Amino acid sequence: MGMTGLTLNHLRQTLAGIDPGNAPRLAGEERLIGMTAPIDKALGGGLACGALHELVPAAPLYLGAASGFGLALAAQAAGRRGQVLWVTTEYAAGEGGGPYGPGLDLFGLASAHFLMLRVSKPLDVLWAMEEGLRCRALACVIAELTGEGAVADLTATRRLTLAARDGIGAQNSGFGLLIRHRATAMPSAAATRWEIAPALSQPDAYGGIGRARFDLSLRKNRRGPSGRWIIEWDHHERAFQPAIFVGLAAPALDRSDRASRVRTG
Amino acid sequence: MGIADARAMYPNLPVVDADPEADRRFLEAIADWCDRYTPLVALDSPDGLFLDITGCAHLFNGEATLARDLIARLTQQGLRARVAVADTVGGASAIARYGKPGIIPRGETRAAMLPLPIAALRVDAETVAALKTSGLTCVVDLAARPRAPFAARFGRGLLLRLDQALGDVDEPIMPRLPVPAAMAEQRFPEPIAREADVLGTVEHLGRQLVPVLERRGEGGRLFQLALFRADGKVHRLAIGTGAPLRDPARMRKLFEERLAVLDDACDPGFGYDMVRLGALVTERCDPTQTGLAGSDHAEELAHLTDRLGARFGLRRVTRLVSQDTHIPEYAVASVPAHAARHVAEAARIIEQDSLSSTRPIRLLNRPEPVDVTAQVPDGPPVQFSWRRMTYQVAQVEGPERIAMEWWRDDRGNKLTRDYFRVESKTGARVWLYREGLYGRESGNPRWYLHGLFA
Repeated sequence: MGMTGLTLNHLRQTLAGIDPGNAPRLAGEERLIGMTAPIDKALGGGLACGALHELVPAAPLYLGAASGFGLALAAQAAGRRGQVLWVTTEYAAGEGGGPYGPGLDLFGLASAHFLMLRVSKPLDVLWAMEEGLRCRALACVIAELTGEGAVADLTATRRLTLAARDGIGAQNSGFGLLIRHRATAMPSAAATRWEIAPALSQPDAYGGIGRARFDLSLRKNRRGPSGRWIIEWDHHERAFQPAIFVGLAAPALDRSDRASRVRTG
Repeated sequence: MGIADARAMYPNLPVVDADPEADRRFLEAIADWCDRYTPLVALDSPDGLFLDITGCAHLFNGEATLARDLIARLTQQGLRARVAVADTVGGASAIARYGKPGIIPRGETRAAMLPLPIAALRVDAETVAALKTSGLTCVVDLAARPRAPFAARFGRGLLLRLDQALGDVDEPIMPRLPVPAAMAEQRFPEPIAREADVLGTVEHLGRQLVPVLERRGEGGRLFQLALFRADGKVHRLAIGTGAPLRDPARMRKLFEERLAVLDDACDPGFGYDMVRLGALVTERCDPTQTGLAGSDHAEELAHLTDRLGARFGLRRVTRLVSQDTHIPEYAVASVPAHAARHVAEAARIIEQDSLSSTRPIRLLNRPEPVDVTAQVPDGPPVQFSWRRMTYQVAQVEGPERIAMEWWRDDRGNKLTRDYFRVESKTGARVWLYREGLYGRESGNPRWYLHGLFA
């Protein structure tokens, strides 16, 4: 490498120090998305980029939780500037609703980061996802399939995995999330498969509903053991936290707090 | 001759109803095909076409060869045509219909026009008849006489037609298709039919188009590919882009996506003998400097958007743009990504007290009715059933009262909604609302599920 090359490299490293979110990565360096310590341990450091991950809600009503978990992962992959492609079919949007802008804004990743694509056939979802994964300008691709997502069979998921591996670059991560609306036993080449249910949230200081809390079951993991964890998403900090159960007894939600005030007063 | 008379002479004479609409469509199809000679083709209804071949004739080795080629190709398709080339639109029309078809050399249109009948001037039959009773039958009769009496008797129209035909007044033709800002074309002695060949031609033509666009400091926003089939049919494919484009390889890629979805709708048949690529809409495009820390990939994202748009339709690739309304379902609009380019990147960051979000991440297209049990008619829900499953409520936040916009009455729904954020005992978080204020707007308010929280 000549003198100019060295200088340029040096400058790039300096820039990376100033702005880590936009830092170029060296070839071969693997990017991982961190969750909580126990999960990262099971995953071998974190959720791998350059791979395909499957998310499945444990029940139809939990589609919100599954989407929320996917969005939280996408928010971490996207950082401050990354773009996310969300592909869905018209039928899927009719069944479970479409991603809602104001809600996304409040969940950690502003809706301006999203590129939405709505297609008519499930096969087109796979095509668009593959294109998106190969594109070096996207941080994450989320695709949705209704039912079991039968079109995403072993061959299709292998294709997507290869595309994700190809797509890994300096800024993007070839990070693919496939949301199947219903649990399936179909074999898949995805790196992990998560079954997601929501968990009761910890009420906030004002008695309102607290942070989104997920009950995650890691059903399939190419790199390590499976497991089950309850974590919550802090959208202000854009980080997962282990859900801490404060106190031994469940909070007395059914009892009015007026009584205790009378007693102490 | 009436049908009855004709049938008396030839009992087996077939009779077909006139179909002016079909004739017009047929004429338009021929006009489409004539596009191969010049982009400026206009209809001279009901039975003629104008081709402005100014500056095009040399591409065919002169006007005579062009006319011969045109006649030969039309004859191959089973059509008979009378072709005249003249200095003026009116002159060509008159000579093709009433004179001896052929090439009228430059400057001789006037002389060729003079002996023709007045009907050749494209004036109505009434005028022709009126002039005939005065003994005026030829163009020369008009041209040689003082103009004032004609203007007084027949108005400006007659003299205007005369002047246009003789070349004293300029007459532009109205091309029926938009004329590209820049275009390139390729003809083949042997028709091509393979998709790869067509796409290769697109890239080749793109390379010819780029210097033209560069000189103008522009890039294309809308490209049109015209495929002229050997049997006369013309396929036109258009692709739009989100940002001005000047890259032949990307043009090829976009048309590849377009062709992939068209499939049978774009049947090459016996092959295409001419391909033309034109930039219909162009926009200023300045060269940009890429960042030091590697390129910022904005261009690549634009290309992906274009490709998805070319394959699935530009309207399907969208961006979410906030709208100025508090009605949940109208608060965000899906704007086609290629149009949303100028929407500000900076999103509003909404601060709030609670730890959880106050808007769901998924909103149903239509709120779905749910059965709700509440302790009092205007109280929060304690149990709800959705899609045949019943859920017990663990926590509720609300109501958040959203009144409809009374100043926009056309939307029809006027009942006030009370929204509740509800967490079931299993942890599912949903957005429910009660439609109508109990006692004031509705005796039996109904409940709906409108969205899903994470």
